[in-house]
Amino acid sequence: MNIVDCYNEMGADYNDVLARMMKEERVKKFALRFLDDPSFELLKTSLDAKNYDEAFRAAHTIKGVSQNLSFTALYKSSHELCEALRGGKPLEDVSLYDDVVRDYEMTVAALKKVDE
Amino acid sequence: MSERHKILIVDDNESNRELLIDMLEDDFDVYQCADGKDAIAVLSNQGNSFSLVLLDIFMPEVDGFQVLKVMNKLRIIENLPVIMISSESSPESMEHAYRLGATDYIPRPFNMMIVRRRVINTIMLYSKQKRLIETVEEQVEEKEKNSEMLINILSHIVEFRNGESGLHVLHVRRITEILLDALTQKTDKYELTKSVKAMIANASALHDIGKISIPDSILNKPGRLTDEEYKIMKTHSAAGGELVNQLPIYKDEPLVRSVYEICRWHHERFDGRGYPDGLKGDEIPISAQVVAVADVYDALTSERCYKKAFTHEKAVEMILNNECGVFNPLLMECLTDSAEIIKSELGKDMIEELSLSESRLIAQEILQSKNISNSDLLSQSLTYERTKNEFFTKYSDDLMFEYIKKTDVLIFSDKASDRLGIDKTIMSPQNNKALLDAMGLETHNKLNDAIYNTTAETPDGECILESAGVSWKIVFRTLWSGGELTGTLGIVRPVIQGEK
Repeated sequence: MNIVDCYNEMGADYNDVLARMMKEERVKKFALRFLDDPSFELLKTSLDAKNYDEAFRAAHTIKGVSQNLSFTALYKSSHELCEALRGGKPLEDVSLYDDVVRDYEMTVAALKKVDE
Repeated sequence: MSERHKILIVDDNESNRELLIDMLEDDFDVYQCADGKDAIAVLSNQGNSFSLVLLDIFMPEVDGFQVLKVMNKLRIIENLPVIMISSESSPESMEHAYRLGATDYIPRPFNMMIVRRRVINTIMLYSKQKRLIETVEEQVEEKEKNSEMLINILSHIVEFRNGESGLHVLHVRRITEILLDALTQKTDKYELTKSVKAMIANASALHDIGKISIPDSILNKPGRLTDEEYKIMKTHSAAGGELVNQLPIYKDEPLVRSVYEICRWHHERFDGRGYPDGLKGDEIPISAQVVAVADVYDALTSERCYKKAFTHEKAVEMILNNECGVFNPLLMECLTDSAEIIKSELGKDMIEELSLSESRLIAQEILQSKNISNSDLLSQSLTYERTKNEFFTKYSDDLMFEYIKKTDVLIFSDKASDRLGIDKTIMSPQNNKALLDAMGLETHNKLNDAIYNTTAETPDGECILESAGVSWKIVFRTLWSGGELTGTLGIVRPVIQGEK
């Protein structure tokens, strides 16, 4: 699968990211780098440890990276989670986290199908 | 842009950093820090070498706002533009960053071409401003040099007639500067700003212009003056004041007022028994009081047609014993404190030293008051670098640390941080629990005492500390600016058994 199909599969806006990053090659390189990004792991462990400050930063990083790469769905759900955790507030509505997990897995699954 | 500018990227997320590097590395030398602490360490040491910082907001421990605060304390924010990049788009965060001196704020998702353009434009703008500041500095310097030359020609005429070399004027000027600096460290009751001090030093060159009204026969008489001749000689101070007062223009200018005070009153005595007006205590303007001490000191240590030169030590002793007039006790303290500096300064080749430094100071004051920017930063940081290098070469490279009071940050060398098992960068070390635990309270206090026992004149010290059964020797140098302790550089060494 090429990177354009990958974006289509995850319902993300490829034209938007291409306009900002200018080269397909670059979009592909940094989109695939997302597979190595430790932020999701950090979000999970921080929430387990009830470290909400750290969880906020992790959610914020996921939001920033997915926004830059135009991972639309993940950007939206991580943004919601981020706002709920702002200022180190304990997470009350767990469904916000579930949404992020769902979108993260969907995004990662699509990225894994991209040919190197 | 001919020379490549250095850019520092600060972001805790690796792929964020890589993306920025990817788009900037063709045009710039790009450096990166993965957290705020690291950024503070890099900026404290080499802040001046960067042309721009790209800064993330949310990072573990030390966030982007704290980095901005430290850059404010170090005063590098004025010359080093910071562009914030964050997916944080709340107006509060943006306002906060701008208030702390950020130049620009780029919200995510960003367009690479726009980021590149903004980076280039910002760097160009700052380089233009830097060139502008340099131009202003050069012009002020030129202007100062011209008026200084004219004053020197004028005072030289007076000296020449007096059969002196012209060194007297330069000596009086230098001693006046030294005493004024010492005085401002002791008290602020005389309101002596840098430019007032420079003005008094300039004016001091003209203290004896009244001597042009004294006949040659008296002025250059080899032997002792008769009472009548001495009376005439004493009129030179009032005559000098009169001369200045009769200037058709400029007589209300601060410099001219200062010349008037110095000419008329540099032979007054603090006890009220001087001439021409018998002013007492602080009725005598401080400018005239200081020049009077400088004048007497240089007269004593120089050979004149009627006397031999006294040694520096003898001259200071005679002045302190009121053998040559009575002076303000505060100024006597200043003389005692700066006796060594005066001795070594007057030993130098004064003519080469014709101070360009004052014009630089004045340029800075003008720039500061006009709120353009602070340009003494460069010279400050150069002095700092020089002291630091000199110190480190002197004591070889063991485990090193430096503490800067302004930012309240303690930075260890990599080796020291490894060996001692402490963080490389420690903010607010006085309240840092890990550091206190590692050192122990007693050890901590012992080191503190040793540091506070140093002075600007004797900044080096050492002490032996016991921690967890190991003895460490700490050699350190305290840094001073304007009489204030501004930081400490140090080296930690394990004490080899039996050496103690």
